[in-house]
Amino acid sequence: MPLAQTSTIVPVVIDDALCIADKGCTVCVDVCPLDVLRIVEGPDGSPVTAHMKYDECWYCMPCEADCPTGAVTVNLPFLLK
Amino acid sequence: MNALFEDFDEIAELAEGLDDASPGTRIMAVMELANSADPAAIAHLARAISDADAGVRKQAALALTAFDGPETAAALVSALTDSDPAVIEAAALSLTELKDPEAGDAILPHLGDTDTVKLTACFAGIKELRRTEAMGAAITALKHEDAGVRIGAVGVIGWLQDEGSLPALRDAAKDVDTNVRRTALAALGFSKSEHAEATLIAALNDPEWLVREAAAETLAKVGGAKCVTALRIALEDEFWQVRLKAVRSLGKMNAVEAALEIAPMMDLLIPNLRKECAAVLGEMAAPETRPYLEKYVDDTDPDVRKNVRWALGKIDAQ
Repeated sequence: MPLAQTSTIVPVVIDDALCIADKGCTVCVDVCPLDVLRIVEGPDGSPVTAHMKYDECWYCMPCEADCPTGAVTVNLPFLLK
Repeated sequence: MNALFEDFDEIAELAEGLDDASPGTRIMAVMELANSADPAAIAHLARAISDADAGVRKQAALALTAFDGPETAAALVSALTDSDPAVIEAAALSLTELKDPEAGDAILPHLGDTDTVKLTACFAGIKELRRTEAMGAAITALKHEDAGVRIGAVGVIGWLQDEGSLPALRDAAKDVDTNVRRTALAALGFSKSEHAEATLIAALNDPEWLVREAAAETLAKVGGAKCVTALRIALEDEFWQVRLKAVRSLGKMNAVEAALEIAPMMDLLIPNLRKECAAVLGEMAAPETRPYLEKYVDDTDPDVRKNVRWALGKIDAQ
């Protein structure tokens, strides 16, 4: 599976200001059927925020729909809109 | 039990998160309370419904789908007057998930509310609870100016399946709004009375094809010779969607006398309709329809092909 090179070009974008992964939330990671999302950990191993680790999104949208704070945005490609 | 765990109250500990200063922590507490599936969590989630943060309130409204009963319903009804539309939407959605008839106790007092959004949500919530006390309010709401409320009221009446409500449903079947008429016609399906039959047959001449489609579909449930005659006329409707439902209904009623009227429809260019015709002809298994079916044994549409071959098998098996 190709690794997402930078966080700015991947389809699933997480708003770090809204993400509550640091409080223990893993909803987006749990609902992703392709298991492409991960929680970024700080130097001490504590969760910081979610991010898209593998660039294999199928645009199924539950990560965006189920995020309790609306922190996840899935950018749909033009041809899927 | 081990003395160490005797005094441990998991729900109380989870609920402590609801008092945290951070909305994120409060949201996590709400989600964990919902995951506990412990009815003791309902009171805490009801408290979270009036949280200062809209995100927490929305999450609490969604979390209450994990529970049922009057306490849950009361909390959700209170959320219907929230200042944030997202919270109201979440509460209205959760209300439709209630299954315990006792939950209706908390909804019934609000069926005369003047707030349209609240009233629509309350009707949608109490519909499947089948509370007979809701009938009066639902009949009154059929005169409400908002079509959404009228649809909700028709839904309540339809679920109660009371022959006494037939006049109200007949009136709703003449509503100015297309969707109210459709819902009313579908709700008439429980009745086998002549009045329901007459209303549905009359609706086959409605100017809106969606209404005619609903009437054609529901006539199969009512049954009767008059229904067959009306459906045979509906086979010539200008909309194929109506014709499809008429074909399906005639099949359900096993109206073999209509087989030779359905068979020529196999020549039409609408795959959905042809597929349904082949299936119905198979159910009727009338040998005289065999020549119409044989033409399409190798049809380009796989679903049509499959149904045609199945239908021919049914005819041969006779």
